[in-house]
Amino acid sequence: MGQRMTSEPVGIVVLGGGLAGNMVTQALATHLGTSVRITQLVDGPGPVGDVLYGSATAPDAYNFLRHLGLDEPTLILKSRTSFSFGTHFRTWPDTGGWLQAHHAPLALIDGIPMRHVIARTGTLLEPLLISAQAALAGRFAHPPADPASPLSHAEYGYQFAVDDWTRLLEAEVATGTARRLTASVEAVETGEDGIIALRLETGERLAADLIIDASGVSRTGLSSLGGQFRTERTVGIYPTEATCDRTGPPCRVIEASERGWSVRAHLQDHDRILSIGAPETATGTDSGFVAALGRVERAWVGNCVAIGHAACVTEPLTPAPMMLLQRDIERLLELIPVGPDMSVERREFNRRFAADADHAALFQRALLVGRRDAGGAYWQAAATLDRPEKLDRKIRQFCHRGTLVAYDLEPFNDEDWTILHLGMGRWPKQHDRQVDRLTAATADRELTVIRDSVARMTQQMPPHDIYLTKLKQYLDRKRNA
Amino acid sequence: MGHLSKICILGGGTAGWMTAAALSNKFKNLDLEITLVESDQIGTVGVGEATLPHIRYFNQALGIDEADFMRSTEATFKLGIEFCDWGQRGDRYIHPFGDYGQPIDDLDFHQFWLKQRQAGNPHRLSEYSYPIVAAEQGRFRIPGSDTTAIGSNFGYAYQFDSSLYAGYLRRYAERLGVTRIEGRVVDVARHTETGDITAIALDNGQSVAAELFVDCSGFRGVLIEQALGSGYDDWSEWLPCNRAVAVPCESRGTLLPYTRATARTAGWQWRIPLQHRTGNGHVYWDAFISDDEAADQLMSTLDGPALADPKQLFFKTGRRRKFWNRNVVSIGLSAGFLEPLESTSIHLIQEGITTLIELFPTGRVDSRDVDEYNERMGLNFERVRDFLLLHYVATQRDDSEMWRYFRNMTLPDSLQEKITAWTSRGYVLRYEFGVFLPPSWVAVMLGQNLVPAAYDPRIDRFETPDLDTRLERIRQETASAVAETPMQADFLQRHGAASQSDPLMAARA
Repeated sequence: MGQRMTSEPVGIVVLGGGLAGNMVTQALATHLGTSVRITQLVDGPGPVGDVLYGSATAPDAYNFLRHLGLDEPTLILKSRTSFSFGTHFRTWPDTGGWLQAHHAPLALIDGIPMRHVIARTGTLLEPLLISAQAALAGRFAHPPADPASPLSHAEYGYQFAVDDWTRLLEAEVATGTARRLTASVEAVETGEDGIIALRLETGERLAADLIIDASGVSRTGLSSLGGQFRTERTVGIYPTEATCDRTGPPCRVIEASERGWSVRAHLQDHDRILSIGAPETATGTDSGFVAALGRVERAWVGNCVAIGHAACVTEPLTPAPMMLLQRDIERLLELIPVGPDMSVERREFNRRFAADADHAALFQRALLVGRRDAGGAYWQAAATLDRPEKLDRKIRQFCHRGTLVAYDLEPFNDEDWTILHLGMGRWPKQHDRQVDRLTAATADRELTVIRDSVARMTQQMPPHDIYLTKLKQYLDRKRNA
Repeated sequence: MGHLSKICILGGGTAGWMTAAALSNKFKNLDLEITLVESDQIGTVGVGEATLPHIRYFNQALGIDEADFMRSTEATFKLGIEFCDWGQRGDRYIHPFGDYGQPIDDLDFHQFWLKQRQAGNPHRLSEYSYPIVAAEQGRFRIPGSDTTAIGSNFGYAYQFDSSLYAGYLRRYAERLGVTRIEGRVVDVARHTETGDITAIALDNGQSVAAELFVDCSGFRGVLIEQALGSGYDDWSEWLPCNRAVAVPCESRGTLLPYTRATARTAGWQWRIPLQHRTGNGHVYWDAFISDDEAADQLMSTLDGPALADPKQLFFKTGRRRKFWNRNVVSIGLSAGFLEPLESTSIHLIQEGITTLIELFPTGRVDSRDVDEYNERMGLNFERVRDFLLLHYVATQRDDSEMWRYFRNMTLPDSLQEKITAWTSRGYVLRYEFGVFLPPSWVAVMLGQNLVPAAYDPRIDRFETPDLDTRLERIRQETASAVAETPMQADFLQRHGAASQSDPLMAARA
């Protein structure tokens, strides 16, 4: 007892004005109020690498965005955001394709997890998942709260244009308490404890207690303190856009080719396409670039915290890039220093960062390891990726008897992993003994009931584009009422 | 590949009959023969009378009627554990089954309390916890369905007579076809090539063959250790208490819905109130107190006359190196021992059973299932160990050799980091797997006087007068909800759970 309470306000400078910079500035301003002086330093348009955030979020982005002032009506009315029930791997090496759907915990059948029942009966999972079926049919409706509705088991995220959200967040920041400066950093003054000040091209010297490096792959702040990026491999990125007559399905679509793979996001009025291959595939194109995938050893060095692509760059095969950015910001908010000694915060941030990045990488890598060499340089490089023991345990146990191995606070949940394993053709070789409690006829009947209700529900749902149109009309009326 | 069709459970204490009941329920109507071997000549330890809220899910999965089970086992409700004299002599706090207050804008309530405490708020954090205030007053009711509402934001467990619980589950398991055989193991037959145990020979001449054995034989580990030599990781360095003396006594006073753990100079003493008697025990480190002295301390601090002679127990804290080895799975005390300071004994049995069911062999025992089981149970044991150790090291006591030992201890990194993060800013390092959630860590650290030097800066965005109002509302709603809650004894009657037997009385001279 009797210790003195101290919560000293600190001045924070955010480096960067892209999606990560705007998002973290808005988050800090919202969560810290006026107790902390926040300055955002922007030196031009957002980093070109921001397209690697991948145009898709996971379902838990809903609340995170809402806290930033980007509630759903704002996203739908003021940007070209659409809905996402997941990612359709239409073609993928050695598989027949599947829909990596967002879904609530899978049903128990007589107390037995559904994956064990389908493993025994050889049933396909996809027709049992409402979010997968609706996405494949191009249909969408908001999941209701009523658990009796099959649609209540669906979960959804968003498909979005990174420039739209960058702009929306910039507008939110402008109305808030953070100060926004447009200037380049000419030099970074460092000392024993980290960054002392930033010298700007304008001649201004900007001192801060805490620097948030959201400068993308340039890592302006972190590199000045010797932060090391571990490159796993490099890839070529080629972003394009395509017009569309009407909004496409509520899912991204991924197609693999000999050169690599491409992902198409279906926004309200156009599609965004990102092609990823070996580094040379990006050369000679107008907007193509080469990106190093990997992560920094420690995201928090001295008094500088790297977030987003300054900390970790991963392929947008899944919503992992946005999940990691969100976790970076949430982790930072929980660990805003309470005094000049940031050692506790730094250790904990780095521990959690490493766990999040590595656990997300397990999911991404599960899509790539063990595939046959599909021909091109991209696939050759992917074929050489190692299989970490943690991933090996997950795959080994699922293939053995459908056992799900989970680690603390993984970004991807049991449903994500079940759908992924089965989509990749990792079928349990043995079924769980409990399933023998069900006769074949009972199991078949139970699964048929679910499959039929999902099919009926899917038919009743409107096409994604029509739902969006009507939703916008409704939201407009509501806002103008 | 043929199905595994014969299981033998060795030992009929709490662990044995919990295992028999769960397996016979989960695999009923399958071609699975379950035999339990026990000997009336071998006593059961019978500790682990207090439980954690997870036990309710175990009972529910078996379809057990709560009132019937409580009547049959002399059970009381449990809202938490009271710790006396742990931070300093004279201190007391309750570790509740539930969170404090309510989160505000998704931020932990204790952070708001820390700020308001700095501003002069005189109220204890426990005044914002329904289960603590209800427990202090001896009140109880079942929580409502909205578990975020004040008055329903808590969990509950039971305190029961574990021998009666074992008997209750025995009747359940036998109804589902479990065969009980009376006998002591005198020999173990092993497969000449695989080394698996193929059968156990009993003193009555019987031989029980099985493809899978569950060793619930207690500390001795008849199969897992005596036969297979699976090894034991000794954790005495962290948790050195190695003996206990236990005795039941007559009930006295209000029937309290919580267990009490009182720190002593060379260990600690438990008090578990049941409907018909009160269970007591003294866990101690024999380096600093004699057995006689330990028994004297216990006997001189009972609520009422003792109902039996004190029973002596010997143990070594730690875990079996291989919980599952070949075709033997150890569950209960044969798997390891962690002192019952946080009522984890029955919980670790339950974890073992749940994990075994999830990984139950389809045919022959598969090394992948064995590896996974050992990995998961190892994590469970380690996380409980760190939480127990916290009680001994988050203290200002230095009034005896034992407390000075703990003050000079170098902690495991994982625990040291948790304590540092808490004391610097009230932050609780989180993990997903493991029984104790952040509110439990908050309860013990704050309860033992580890007061954070600072609070989460995000709290500063809230205006102080507004926070005053919000916190006061939560405190008053908590007090009102408790005032409307019946006394536990009345609730047991109303719930149909009251014992139908007379309280036990000591023999009068």
